[in-house]
Amino acid sequence: MSAPESAPETRVRREHRTPPRKPRPAPTARGFSPLRIVGMAFVWLFTALNVVILYWLVTAAFKTPIEIFNKPFHLPYTWFERGDPFRNLRYAWENAGFGNAFLVTVALVAVSSVVIVAVAAPAAYALTRLGVRGSNPMTNFFAIGMGIPFQTLVIPLFIGMADLGLTNNLFGMFLVYVALSLPFTVFLLTGFFKSLPDELEEAAAIDGASPFRTFFTVMLPLARGGLITALILNAIGLWNETLLAIVFLTDNANFTLARALFTLYGAASYQSEYGGLIAGVAIVVLPMLVMYILLARRIITGLTLGAGK
Amino acid sequence: MATVTFDGTTRYYAGNPTPAVDTLDLEVADGEFLVLVGPSGCGKSTTLRMLAGLEGIDGGAIRIGERDVTNLPPKERDIAMVFQNYALYPHMTVADNIGFHLKIAKMPKEERVKRVREAAALLDLEQYLERKPAKLSGGQRQRVAMGRAIVRRPQVFCMDEPLSNLDAKLRVQTRTQIASLQRRLGVTTIYVTHDQTEAMTMGDRVAVLRDGILQQCDTPIGLFSRPANVFVAGFIGSPGMNLIPAAVSGESATVGGMSIPLTPAQRAALTSDRVVVGIRPEGWSIGSSGVSAVVEVVEELGSDQYLYCSADIPHVEVAESAEEREAPHAFTVRAPGMSGWHRGDKLALTPQAGAVHFFDAATGDRLPD
Ligand SMILES: Nc1ncnc2c1ncn2[C@@H]1O[C@H](COP(=O)(O)OP(=O)(O)O)[C@@H](O)[C@H]1O
Ligand SMILES: [Mg+2]
Repeated sequence: MSAPESAPETRVRREHRTPPRKPRPAPTARGFSPLRIVGMAFVWLFTALNVVILYWLVTAAFKTPIEIFNKPFHLPYTWFERGDPFRNLRYAWENAGFGNAFLVTVALVAVSSVVIVAVAAPAAYALTRLGVRGSNPMTNFFAIGMGIPFQTLVIPLFIGMADLGLTNNLFGMFLVYVALSLPFTVFLLTGFFKSLPDELEEAAAIDGASPFRTFFTVMLPLARGGLITALILNAIGLWNETLLAIVFLTDNANFTLARALFTLYGAASYQSEYGGLIAGVAIVVLPMLVMYILLARRIITGLTLGAGK
Repeated sequence: MATVTFDGTTRYYAGNPTPAVDTLDLEVADGEFLVLVGPSGCGKSTTLRMLAGLEGIDGGAIRIGERDVTNLPPKERDIAMVFQNYALYPHMTVADNIGFHLKIAKMPKEERVKRVREAAALLDLEQYLERKPAKLSGGQRQRVAMGRAIVRRPQVFCMDEPLSNLDAKLRVQTRTQIASLQRRLGVTTIYVTHDQTEAMTMGDRVAVLRDGILQQCDTPIGLFSRPANVFVAGFIGSPGMNLIPAAVSGESATVGGMSIPLTPAQRAALTSDRVVVGIRPEGWSIGSSGVSAVVEVVEELGSDQYLYCSADIPHVEVAESAEEREAPHAFTVRAPGMSGWHRGDKLALTPQAGAVHFFDAATGDRLPD
């Protein structure tokens, strides 16, 4: 409470001020602790390194091999001077069969990711929410699945799939992708469903909704952030997946982008077409990078949501 | 509309050998507003959740009207519930939240819209119908939760501390709004709160629970004027009743050198020679003789003044936990507002006629008047 006679003075003080450009942080957050300095240095170094690599990748995709080796950090010029700047990209696209591989990859990744989430979401819901008997050991069982490196499973998987006649077959590839991605996805989504309040389900039960309806009209929309995160993470992972594609796919017509890039690697290094090879890498990597940048915020909030709150 | 009957209803939780609600016998009349009150953890929510069908019933039965609902799922009980945190569906608009039950019940769209509008009008929510709950204030959310209940026109309303997330002023306003809305609709209501003021101001009758056991169920006046035992005496009323253990010799109890007579019936009902004398803060007269006490804290409310005094006599604490206890003072005395008492003043106190309650010290039960 200020005394009445001081009011005009206060008003003058209020009028002659400018808001700060950035509000002051709390005293605890201010100042530089050694940990903070080291951490900042590390983060900036890491970021700089990645930016340099990205710069190198993108510029090299427009360079001749000589430029790549002699002037790695210069901007490209030879192909630009010859009036054919996209020559490397064209080379990669034509020689690697990226056109077909692109369609195959988009279809395979899209269908697999959607099916993974469609299977994992009800599973995670049942494990966390329906009070299913033995749901805790079952959740742990899924978590164990996450700990087994899939590389150790490649050979048995291949033999099994070969017996079923599902090698060199996109449907077979789809099955393998879905199966191997489920543990992580189920685990991710259990975290999500756990974080949703019990009261909503109870409210839905009192409103007369069946468990089925509660799942679809109440819980699923609320877990939307988690579902989208799971979808994006799976899409990125599968888009970049190479080992299984190399093992399981042998026919050009079935090649995914990563698999086609592997073939291009052989051909281009034989022909010393390093510019073309790097252009191929850029074609495969950049769509995911763009998607990741666009959706980064969403993914991060999604990943941390299960933890907090 | 219907009555609600708890018939020896009992609830255990896994891993706990003592029941959370123990053989509860309670009849709620048609259209009655019954408040369940008691300290935190006494089993109020459990009782309500059993009625709603969200919690199993381990013993006894619950009836709504003539129907035994003990084993029915929530949706077949025709009850509506208002949750403590409202439990609004965050991804639905206010209108969809209110109309969710009607939609599930497959009510035709026009009628549904009409019913939602009526409920919204009743609760002053019309301009918010298209908003999501996140964009509403606490009070508005609370009203949406109410709307979701009243739009159903159920047989019973269940409300679990619906005001506890509101600030003090809004809580007082909403308290009267809910009470008058309930009287207008005439729907049997069971309302849970830990706040005895809320209980006393809202309920037709108030049921006091402690450790899962019903202590007393009576009108607010009945509870206040004739508490059935020491616990109810200490729990109801704010500041709480002064409870003073005293020895009985002959026909009277001795408190701080002053003797207070017992009636023959009281003397006969007593199981030992010790009683607890209960006197409310407003039951004392400040005079020139009687129990002497020293003022330690003066709480000035304008209309009243509460004097927290120390005195050389023992006293009984009813609240178990330290934070529920007001302060370790022997006495609370009400004086007229702005009376000019100060810390350190010496008082001589005598109980007013008819203001003394006697309880059996051994059992805690009230002695007959
Ligand atoms: N889901 C549960 N599992 C185990 N114990 C519970 C559960 N819910 C409540 N309890 C216990 O039952 C008792 C009564 O709880 P509750 O009815 O929620 O109390 P109130 O609503 O009166 O505060 C408490 O001791 C509480 O710890
Ligand atoms: Mg409770």
